[in-house]
Amino acid sequence: MDFSLNEEQRHWQSEARKFSDEELRPRSLERDQIEGGFEPWDWDIIEMGSKLGFRTLAVPKEWGGPGADFVSQALVMAELARGDSAMSKAFSQNWKWSHLIASACTNDQKERFLKPFLADHRYVMGRGITEPNAGSDNRMPPEDDPKAGYRLRAVRDGNDWILNGEKCFIANGSVGSLFFVDARTNPDVNIKQGGTLFMVPKTTPGFRIGKVFNKRGWRFYQNAELIFENARVPHANVVGDVGTGSVKAGKGDTTGGDIFGDLELAANALGVCDDACQMAMGFAKTHQRAGRRLIEHQLVQLRINEMHALTEALRSYVMRVAWQHDRKEHSANAGLVMNWSTDVIQRVTRLNMEIHGAEGCMMSARVDKLVRDAMVWTHLAGDTVQRVKVLRRLDKGLRAVAGANAD
Amino acid sequence: MYDLRLTPEQLEFRETVRDFVEREVKPAALNPRRLEPFEKPLLATALDQAAQMGLRTLGLSEEAGGAGADTLTACIVMEELGAGDVDLAAVLAQTSTLAHVLFDRHMKPEQRKRFLAEFVKDDGYHLACTGSDPGAGLGWSYHRPLAESGAMPVAVKQGNDWVIHGTVPFVANATVAKLFAVQAQTGTSGRITLLVPRATPGLTVREPPKAVGEVIRWHHGAGAGLTFKDCRVPGDQVLGEAGLGAALARGVPPLAAVNLGLGRAAFEAAVDYARLRRQGGRNIIEHQAIGTKLADCAIKLELARNMIWKAAWTLDHPGAVADRSVSDLPLHVIARVHTAQAVNEVALLAAECFGAMGVMRDMPLQKYVHDSMVFLHSEDTDGAAKLQIAEAVAGYQRPLAA
Repeated sequence: MDFSLNEEQRHWQSEARKFSDEELRPRSLERDQIEGGFEPWDWDIIEMGSKLGFRTLAVPKEWGGPGADFVSQALVMAELARGDSAMSKAFSQNWKWSHLIASACTNDQKERFLKPFLADHRYVMGRGITEPNAGSDNRMPPEDDPKAGYRLRAVRDGNDWILNGEKCFIANGSVGSLFFVDARTNPDVNIKQGGTLFMVPKTTPGFRIGKVFNKRGWRFYQNAELIFENARVPHANVVGDVGTGSVKAGKGDTTGGDIFGDLELAANALGVCDDACQMAMGFAKTHQRAGRRLIEHQLVQLRINEMHALTEALRSYVMRVAWQHDRKEHSANAGLVMNWSTDVIQRVTRLNMEIHGAEGCMMSARVDKLVRDAMVWTHLAGDTVQRVKVLRRLDKGLRAVAGANAD
Repeated sequence: MYDLRLTPEQLEFRETVRDFVEREVKPAALNPRRLEPFEKPLLATALDQAAQMGLRTLGLSEEAGGAGADTLTACIVMEELGAGDVDLAAVLAQTSTLAHVLFDRHMKPEQRKRFLAEFVKDDGYHLACTGSDPGAGLGWSYHRPLAESGAMPVAVKQGNDWVIHGTVPFVANATVAKLFAVQAQTGTSGRITLLVPRATPGLTVREPPKAVGEVIRWHHGAGAGLTFKDCRVPGDQVLGEAGLGAALARGVPPLAAVNLGLGRAAFEAAVDYARLRRQGGRNIIEHQAIGTKLADCAIKLELARNMIWKAAWTLDHPGAVADRSVSDLPLHVIARVHTAQAVNEVALLAAECFGAMGVMRDMPLQKYVHDSMVFLHSEDTDGAAKLQIAEAVAGYQRPLAA
């Protein structure tokens, strides 16, 4: 067994740590507290990070990207999240789709989309699957209800497809240049047979951004409505084959995009927990109660112990999954670590809040921010469907939980 | 004898206030334009309407012009108000409790004569008290903390007057109060409580804490700090030599009931949504995961209400402790701590039922979660409160910190 990092991994870790400490953390609270859904966003941060390679980190070397391995990606996500969880996600969201393009797109599509993505520091990507009436149903479509899941309709018209409908909560929605959009090419069968994945550039005629969502946590990160009114998308923008569902289109569990998603949330949570541990220790060493430093009180000691134990356990699990991914060993661990990171981030950020307590009916805003950011995990990484879905990987014969993996 | 039936009057109170909350409070409190920003101004119109309904003077005796509600009735009413808006409810709960403590119990007849008529007449007249239990909020240690020097303003006698100097970092209701009961130190160990009208020269209500910045507002209601500088109070405004002490315990269960009301609002929202939302081929209420979450919420809320009502009833019937019908533990502290934990869990479970909608700022769930977090750190910390219970359990007094 060997836990040491290689030179390239250490390089990415230290670059990310420097960028996080010098550029993200000092801007974190200020961006978080700006009112509105879109307003906390800041292109300068994306451009600065992009110039250091953080936007394109996962693009393979043969296409001119840094081609960092999964271990490096996990290290970078955790370091960036230690500065600001939402900013880290705004970068890593692009890696998900870099992985997918690299593993599932044609050379023509790579030429048309990967090249501009590499060239433009403001080019970010997102994936549109969720709709007002299709959340969990996209992740685990019920066997007995073929209508369940997304409804956005795509109808063939010559060399194009005409898309109609809307998506909600879409990542990078208000700022993205390219979206991977799930649409129904056959509305009468379930989304595994009737669903198709399209690449939709923001300049597509008939496509526009709707409402930008204003959230409790991850305020920097953008989520928006995508609206399709006779949006015309060329057939050449179909990912994989028509009517295979997006998982098959992306070649199932074997695509980097699919594998990356679970690791992403767990690695980001790790960075938030590191931040919480650091804050709690700093506060406990410098503040007094009843004539003693907080760190000398049992109540505080026990909380700090628990925070560190959970954080280090999460680090071990995250790095193990990243290491497995680099060895192309794909197991239920990716899902399990994502689910468990939900429990860890909630608990660790809450313990940090208990240690800080309310000072004269005031609370440290960053302590509150970490708790708000952590709440996002409950529906992204630790909801029932995300937990039940892992059963499919634990027991491949289990029909009852077999469903399209759609995020 | 054990009887949980409410009186016809209590049932009517509950229906009236529930109706008021549905009609007037919720539409204003849950408007997306109020939910989205960090800053949420006090609902001034609803506060006035509640005052006109007599909720500001709920705890004041009937002879004095109030509703004469006991602590249990106050809890029933405050749960309903808390389900609408915790800040509004916290302001009313504070004024209502202090109305009873000050006017019915502590004021001398001539003081009552001077302040009562205006208090009853003016719907915008609220009350505040700067006193706190010594050691509250500081009990990180198993040792009792020493009172920190300068933590309380100092009053110096000059002729017939008292002159107050010093600051109080936080006083509930300070931004709306027209009369303050101010506790001050006299000499080295003495204490005095003085009645200080808001207009008294030398008293300044500080800018209330903000919801954004490096440190943020972490309380419910309408609090702010106070500064006293050469604040001269005539000798006839001395309320007493001791603090308000035990009487203030009456204020604890109604605030826990506000907390409970907020949990119930989150729970009811989740139940409504679970009946409508369809995923996985059926309404989500039919999924085991959602069903058991809602059951957990119901269990936690029912148990919290039991404890709050028991603590309130015990404060209303002190003889029940003397004859050993109920335990002599600080039941009001147990009720508050238990409710804060239970309701926080309920708010998180309820928000989970909403999926992504649970974190959207135009929806109420994220506010319920935030409000429940604030309750976890209200009054004193959880740890401090538990040490107070531990003392009572063991019949042990923690030594003073070195």
